[in-house]
Amino acid sequence: DSHIQYERVGADVTMKCGSMDWDAAVTWTANGTDIDESHLNGSYLILKNVDLSQSGQYSCYEGSSWHLKYQTYLRVGTPPKEPVLMCRSNNYPKGFYCSWHLPTPTYIPNTFNISVIHGTKDMVCEKDAVPKNRCHIRYLQLFSTVKYKVTLTVTNALGKNFTTLTFDEFAIVKPDPPESVVAKPVPNNPRRLEVSWQNPSSWPDPESFPLKFFLRYRPLILDQWQHVELSDGTSHTITDAYAGKEYIIQVAAKDNDIGTWSDWSVAVHATPWTEEPKHLTTEAQITETTSASTSSFMAPPTTKICDKGAVVGSGAVAVCWTAGLVVAAYSVLFI
Amino acid sequence: MAATDSPSTAVRRRDLCSRGIRLAGKMRADVIDLLDTYVEQQGLDASATVGVVEGVPLAAVERWDEQTGTQRLLENLVAYRAFRALLAQMLEEQREQLGEADAGLGRALAAVLLQVSAFAYHLEELLQLESRGIPSEEGDGPPPLPRLSLFEQKLRGLGVLRELAQWAVRSARDLRQLSKPS
Repeated sequence: DSHIQYERVGADVTMKCGSMDWDAAVTWTANGTDIDESHLNGSYLILKNVDLSQSGQYSCYEGSSWHLKYQTYLRVGTPPKEPVLMCRSNNYPKGFYCSWHLPTPTYIPNTFNISVIHGTKDMVCEKDAVPKNRCHIRYLQLFSTVKYKVTLTVTNALGKNFTTLTFDEFAIVKPDPPESVVAKPVPNNPRRLEVSWQNPSSWPDPESFPLKFFLRYRPLILDQWQHVELSDGTSHTITDAYAGKEYIIQVAAKDNDIGTWSDWSVAVHATPWTEEPKHLTTEAQITETTSASTSSFMAPPTTKICDKGAVVGSGAVAVCWTAGLVVAAYSVLFI
Repeated sequence: MAATDSPSTAVRRRDLCSRGIRLAGKMRADVIDLLDTYVEQQGLDASATVGVVEGVPLAAVERWDEQTGTQRLLENLVAYRAFRALLAQMLEEQREQLGEADAGLGRALAAVLLQVSAFAYHLEELLQLESRGIPSEEGDGPPPLPRLSLFEQKLRGLGVLRELAQWAVRSARDLRQLSKPS
């Protein structure tokens, strides 16, 4: 006769050996290992101040026959703390989703129940298969001033807890970050970078619900970001880049009228176009040039390596780095 | 919207829709600023629940994406005509209550009233373009409002402005739908 027994961390647990008398001779095992008699009070097993490591299968055998008289699976855990609940619409105006988690694990199974009320109307939040701690709702109405109230209750064998969120339709609108961000140098323009991106694929109708964008960029060697807000279009040309400096660029999105900004997109890197050196074409010329004392510009090697394997970000950005740190070192002089 | 639009009609519609969208955007921004001022001057709690206010057109709509262009224009026009009357009443009440003591709020209300009137006119132009008759205003406005206590007037005003802010968002969306090529 086997069952599961849930106990709180720190509790004192007494296990009876089924219907055996108190003074019966028994042997207890935990996960197949005999338990020392010092933990017994007659035929009862006493576990004081249980901790998580004491979870396991406990079995009681009659002394002489070794017949299994009782078996239980002890699960040591905690009652749930107040769950953390978040609701967001990244696919406005189709609907929104709510997701949740516990701030600390309970170590035993938990059941989550979510209710959504709009005014006086109960709405069904359909649970997602993946991830399991998420459900979604389709908007039945748009442009309503009536708030949504979402209550999440978590229950386990040791207790229950809940949390409630109340919000407006507009307040939870937050698109996913823009996708496929690409940054390219502009030929013959040492201070420009062309950046393009796409609407997040989760945003269902960008024509009727257009997004605006926020672009930020900085050279890798500086901490200060430059920002540009763009009310339409999915491209922008940076015109004030430092020549020869590698830049990091990100884009965020927001519905034109409501809600909050998305997280920043994956960062992409790009370096503005730099002029190809014209005169270092033969070894003889290199030797001749270096033997003369000169304060003129030491041109970088003509070979550039555009290594897409060095790309950071999801876009097809060509990050070009010269064989020498010469350019970087030289360019610092121009800041 | 009509399958046999002339190019000039299509251009005119697109132009009216673009201007309408900009007007709705400006109106919303001003209404939100007015809401802040109103709540402060009237001593209200910004998060107060107002409930359904008699005579205030609700922006909330089901199956919004299934509406026809004409439905959108007509519902917008009815709403903004109602807001025109409601804001005019609020302005009058404001003057009665505070006289010149709160000219700033009065001016802000008057400015929004002007925008609401302009937007209603804009909608009428769009309806004419659709060769639809413009519905008459006679008997179309909100029913005469019962005399309310001062506090009830303030709450109603809050409800009016909140709903107007929602309408401004909805109107921009409606006009974007209208301006889509059919």
